[in-house]
Amino acid sequence: MTIVNQLSRAFPKGIVLTSKENTRPFECDGLSVYRQKPLAVVLPDDIVQIKQVLKICKINKIPVVTRGAGTGLSGGATPLEKSIVLGLSKLNKVKLIDVENQLAVVEPGVRNIAISEAVAQYGLYYAPDPSSQIACTIGGNVSENSGGVHCLKYGLTVHNVEAIRMLTIDGDELILSCQDDGLGLLALMNGSEGLLGVITEVTVKLTPNPAFVKMVMAGFDSVRDCANAVTNIIKAGIIPAGLEMMDSFAIKAAEGFAKVGYPLDAKALLLCELDGIQTQVQLELDNVLKILSGASTLKVSESEEERLNFWKGRKSAFSAVGTLSPDYYCMDGTIPRRHLADMLEKIHKLSKKYKLRVANVFHAGDGNLHPLILYDANVTGELERTEEFGTEILKLSVDMGGTITGEHGVGVEKLNAMCHQFNTQELEIFHKIKHVFDENSLLNPGKAVPELHRCAELGAMHVHRGELPYPELERF
Amino acid sequence: MDSRLQQLQILVKESSSLHIKSTLLDYSGIVEYYAEDLVISVKAGTSIAQIKKQLKINNQALSFYTDNEDISIGAAYAQGAQDLSDCVLGVKIIDGTGTYLNFGGQVMKNVAGYDVARLLVGSKGKLALIMQISFKVMPATYINQLTPPIKRKNNSVLHQQIEKKLKQVFDPRGIFN
Repeated sequence: MTIVNQLSRAFPKGIVLTSKENTRPFECDGLSVYRQKPLAVVLPDDIVQIKQVLKICKINKIPVVTRGAGTGLSGGATPLEKSIVLGLSKLNKVKLIDVENQLAVVEPGVRNIAISEAVAQYGLYYAPDPSSQIACTIGGNVSENSGGVHCLKYGLTVHNVEAIRMLTIDGDELILSCQDDGLGLLALMNGSEGLLGVITEVTVKLTPNPAFVKMVMAGFDSVRDCANAVTNIIKAGIIPAGLEMMDSFAIKAAEGFAKVGYPLDAKALLLCELDGIQTQVQLELDNVLKILSGASTLKVSESEEERLNFWKGRKSAFSAVGTLSPDYYCMDGTIPRRHLADMLEKIHKLSKKYKLRVANVFHAGDGNLHPLILYDANVTGELERTEEFGTEILKLSVDMGGTITGEHGVGVEKLNAMCHQFNTQELEIFHKIKHVFDENSLLNPGKAVPELHRCAELGAMHVHRGELPYPELERF
Repeated sequence: MDSRLQQLQILVKESSSLHIKSTLLDYSGIVEYYAEDLVISVKAGTSIAQIKKQLKINNQALSFYTDNEDISIGAAYAQGAQDLSDCVLGVKIIDGTGTYLNFGGQVMKNVAGYDVARLLVGSKGKLALIMQISFKVMPATYINQLTPPIKRKNNSVLHQQIEKKLKQVFDPRGIFN
């Protein structure tokens, strides 16, 4: 009996999707250039059913791709050929809210924003806020270690998870808490991209709503001045809740789209959000305004409405750029903040070299860049040129002491770039960690960590003492 | 590459049994400190007191609890605690085969590869020689009263099996005891 038949027989109607029409929405995630039809999509109602799916897949040696809302941007949830997609969107209950300890226990399919909505009545919220927060799920957030615009002060997902329950490929339950003595297994699970286990429950830390919030918007005549202002704010001992930067192309796109009053003549725009108790915010605000005194335009939000309006432009920047070009490619490199200005100049030069437009939108506070390369997939060779351009940016990020991905994950998209960031021995450690949890490589295999031969073929291997490691590997 | 590092790699390669402690390491000092980037990279043998002294010059501090400033930062990392783990950005290690490896870096956001830099927090010297660690630091004014974090033993059999297998990943010859 085929696996599809076994699954269909094991579950009540509506749990297993097999027809072309029903499985089509699951062919890709947010990175839609990669598509693959799975054998079937299973949407379990509870943990018992998840266990059953894993059991059937294990017996048949069929890979399982776990999926939340499918909003990921690196192909982490793209189905593999002859795989089963395990969609956890139906497990969407907030199980417990512990106001006193500022914790919430939620199922993996609960949407990020739904947590904040559920606890709002207690003056609390869940801090990590990826742009996709209205749709993305907490299970997906843990798997990707998602970020957002408030990470500098409030941390990433890994800093806001208290405990998880997960299933191994064998269907055994593992409970991991941040209070566990011994190895940091909970941290390991954060950002493991569905390769080590299936998350079935998450206990998240909640944050009290800040009493007072102000936003400063500053326009600059030069990108370097703006980047320097970012450094000077941090240098002054201020940790803004959000510190975002956009270049002139992104400003124009966002303003054209959202009409929020961004200065159209500015070469760079800085958004700096300060939160906390009123006296402290006021003090920091005075300080920030002093630091930004060289800006060509400077505005402080006077109402909550105006503050949200300033955010609206930034948050719609991606969709705004989308209206200017048939396609765009979003990068996610992170660099030490001190290199911001140099990086932007280099990206600008590369843009001319590759004859492709770039809009720069980024989380300046934590050095996380999101250059958007504009291209047209219908023009022959343009996607390839875009990818080459993107690879150069990622290599620059690594060479500056940063990383190829700050918050979007490796997925299928950045496998080649991984060969640049890690050497063979480091990649081998990753493969061995995977093997500890999943020795037959059935959980999202082939994602997140490149096979060694892939790196060898790329010729991007780190050469030690003039000898190539693994001479037995074939190279093309 | 620095010579002490190479000596230690050879020591690990040639040993069949090693008990890791700070005096064995003899590897200390602040490697890089970028106050404006809120990051400090230190050799594992550096005392916590020395790191704090350096940070104080820029009104910055470590945002995790320490009860003994005389111990090395490597010892605190190996002992492990949630608040310390939260500040770790990267680690350089010598594994049980004598190989020098680098995980993570100096940036706040980094999701490339598994988070080995945080996995090894609490490894108690049983998995690898911790050589260098990078931490996120904070302006002193942002740090509230720090309290000792709670730690509990996870008694699940599966948990213990996984820890054992992970030791074999980093120390396949079982030399660190």
